[in-house]
Amino acid sequence: MADYSTQQRVMNEASAPPVRQRGWAGLTSFLNRDSTRGNVIQGLTLLFVLCLIVYLGSNAAYNLDRLGMMFGFDFLSSTSGFDISWSLIPYDPSMTYWRVFMVGIVNTLVLSFNVILFGTIIGTIVGILRLSSNPLVAQLARCYVEVVRNVPLLIQIIFWFTAVFSALPPPRRGYMLGDLFFLNNRGFYFPSPQGDISFFWFLGAFVLFAAAAWLLRRKAQQARINQTGNHKALRTGWLVWGVALVLACVIGNGFIEWSVPALDGFNLEGGQYVPVAFGAAFVAMTVYRSAAIAESVRAGMESIDRGQHEAARTIGFSRFQTLRLILIPQAIRAIIPPLANSWLVAVKDSSLAVAIGFPELVSVFMQTSINQTGRAIEIISMVMGFYIFVSLTISYLLNKYNARVQYKVM
Amino acid sequence: MNTDAQLKRFVPSPARKPKSSDMTILRWIRSRCFNSIGNSILTVLVLGLAFYVIDYALNWAVFDAVWHAANRRECMDISPEGACWAGVIDWFNGLMYGRYPHEEQWRVNLGVILAVAWLLPLSCRSIAHRSLVLISWVGLYPFLGAWLFLGGAFGVETGLLHTVFTSLAAGFMVMIYLNWVLALLNRPSLTDLAYPLAARFTARQTHIYSLLIVWLVLAVISGAVLSQVALPPVAIERWGGLFLTLIIASFAITMSIPIGVLLALGRRSKLPVIHWLCLLIIELARAVPLITVLFMAVTLLPIFLPSDMELNKLSQVLCAVCLFSGAYMAENIRGGLQAIPRGQYEAAQTLGLGYWMTMLLIILPQALRLMIPNIMTSFISILKDTTLVSIIGLFDIMLMARNIANDKDWVGLHTEPLAMISILFFVLCYGMSQYSINLEKRLKVNR
Repeated sequence: MADYSTQQRVMNEASAPPVRQRGWAGLTSFLNRDSTRGNVIQGLTLLFVLCLIVYLGSNAAYNLDRLGMMFGFDFLSSTSGFDISWSLIPYDPSMTYWRVFMVGIVNTLVLSFNVILFGTIIGTIVGILRLSSNPLVAQLARCYVEVVRNVPLLIQIIFWFTAVFSALPPPRRGYMLGDLFFLNNRGFYFPSPQGDISFFWFLGAFVLFAAAAWLLRRKAQQARINQTGNHKALRTGWLVWGVALVLACVIGNGFIEWSVPALDGFNLEGGQYVPVAFGAAFVAMTVYRSAAIAESVRAGMESIDRGQHEAARTIGFSRFQTLRLILIPQAIRAIIPPLANSWLVAVKDSSLAVAIGFPELVSVFMQTSINQTGRAIEIISMVMGFYIFVSLTISYLLNKYNARVQYKVM
Repeated sequence: MNTDAQLKRFVPSPARKPKSSDMTILRWIRSRCFNSIGNSILTVLVLGLAFYVIDYALNWAVFDAVWHAANRRECMDISPEGACWAGVIDWFNGLMYGRYPHEEQWRVNLGVILAVAWLLPLSCRSIAHRSLVLISWVGLYPFLGAWLFLGGAFGVETGLLHTVFTSLAAGFMVMIYLNWVLALLNRPSLTDLAYPLAARFTARQTHIYSLLIVWLVLAVISGAVLSQVALPPVAIERWGGLFLTLIIASFAITMSIPIGVLLALGRRSKLPVIHWLCLLIIELARAVPLITVLFMAVTLLPIFLPSDMELNKLSQVLCAVCLFSGAYMAENIRGGLQAIPRGQYEAAQTLGLGYWMTMLLIILPQALRLMIPNIMTSFISILKDTTLVSIIGLFDIMLMARNIANDKDWVGLHTEPLAMISILFFVLCYGMSQYSINLEKRLKVNR
């Protein structure tokens, strides 16, 4: 009993507020407190950062003044005066720097979107092939991944550009497919819908039909649940989109005028084309990205317990059914985070196309425009702002999707 | 009824013979490659593809290749279909050393050999202060290496600080090697010899003082020796090739760890100012492509620095690459820090260790070891990313390879140099990744 009370007293003392000391002892105990130390460290850091900013800012102001330059974004509305070799949105040298920025963004996004799309498809296939029980297939996929992963992307881009795409024959002797698609040392030519309006008719019709079909299907599904209590989905998903597409084509065909590329002298006229640099950057980046994605797909698939394979075999699923219904839906959870990262990297990597002169954001805005205007601070902050915006957007969207597919913890 | 004796006797039943015909190689191949029609078609397709690729590559690179020729036209005349390795061989020196003066290239070789030799004593377990070897390699070797590569009369053209550190580095290297030799001969090391001397001055931490005494004496001696040496100066603009690539990569790799550790600790700090500052730096550096950071370093640093301060392009690039790789490394290390169980922190607290001691002695060693695979992956990507400096005009191996095509003798020779440096990078990166897998396995066994 006595022991207990002693203990109690000790505990009470320990939890009592510290005695306020006076004089030197008070000061040292105040300085030794964790919160004080933390505040001092933070204050010093803040002071250091502020001083650094002021110092760098004053240097910049002095240097800009010395060079006779001004800080400001007014240059965006002045005429650029240089041409861009390829752009999807209309552009000519009489347009403004803001337009140059837009052209760069659109070109970057088009390139990285294609890389993401095809890289993901090829990467998923290669990742699954790496797990094939056929040793030849698995080893071939492994060789592909190892070779692609261990050679720098920049070398691969330049390799495709100089050794493959620039070595293609000139337009007169180029490759063609059915007088519609042409591949030569200038680029890849393909038919395109002529005029904006007709194409929008087609798009509008498609959206309209697709929406109508989707609504009808939902109604039918609801009716089925109400009448039979059967929650199985209607197996008409692809059919609905197909019918909508066919109907839209039938309606739109009357309005669409296709422009077909054709040889005219030494060049091809008409249609749409992508330059060789786009092709090289696209192929190199897709191959590179697909290897990275293949690795995350493989890791995701290997994270699934063997019991799942065996269970699927036991209930008589075929290999493909096991993959589609058992393995992939579970693997998705492990694959999504690295995949999101891979997509982000794909957007960032598209800036390497500057090395072969593809007019993407870094090339047209960071190189050419800085050389023309000297507005380095503004331009670099705009380009970095764009990349930050894109990466925040992608990671936000994928985090949302990720949250949806993860196991729900009660 | 059986007797006890009968029960206890163990009578082994004869082992069944293994099925000898069960898994012959042929059967194994059949069961794996030809077990269904689809799989058979796939096998044949893969074999055909592999044969086609290997056949084409071998014909191009070996059988039809030209190894000796004066220029590209000659190559084309001898074998239009094959590779023209003559150009690459002709430019080999340039690919390795860039535009470093020919007669001074032994300095580059010596520098690389010294860098490797510095680390060799790490393999000897009986040598004292092994961690110091690694720390000195990061902290001291760069001064010695920089003087060797830059040249100039020792102590005159290099600054005072640089001279002092170079002497210290040289002294340290001599000390390591003398200690190593003495350890191999089973003799007391130099540090032990100086121990009575140090003990005369001070009683506490005499080991450290004896180390310092030996080191300083050796540094003074090697400084005196080096001051007799004057190397012809070589401007940084002339550095290039694989040499420059390795300098940038190894600098970024070694610097990324301490920067990454600091940023990761800052990011996990409870102090909001430090937390948000580190978070901002990490996220900004990771959200933008390396090439924009390089452009920023090259175009913005001159604006933000004082006008009388001139940085050469290499140091600007080194700043950018270190910041960039440090931010990536920080995320790896943060992953490692998060994987350390709370109990480890609490145990350290119980022992009375403060924040820095807890981190340095308990948490970081475990975190770094856990993250070895990721850290090695980061190293590989840093090595690959260094090729980007060619875009802003540093003559690394990539730009040298591209420049061969501009040489008047070898106009248009693009493919072969690229193929050669691709193989080089593949060997380096694949070797590193295999080493990291090996390391990971070894550490797992130890646990």
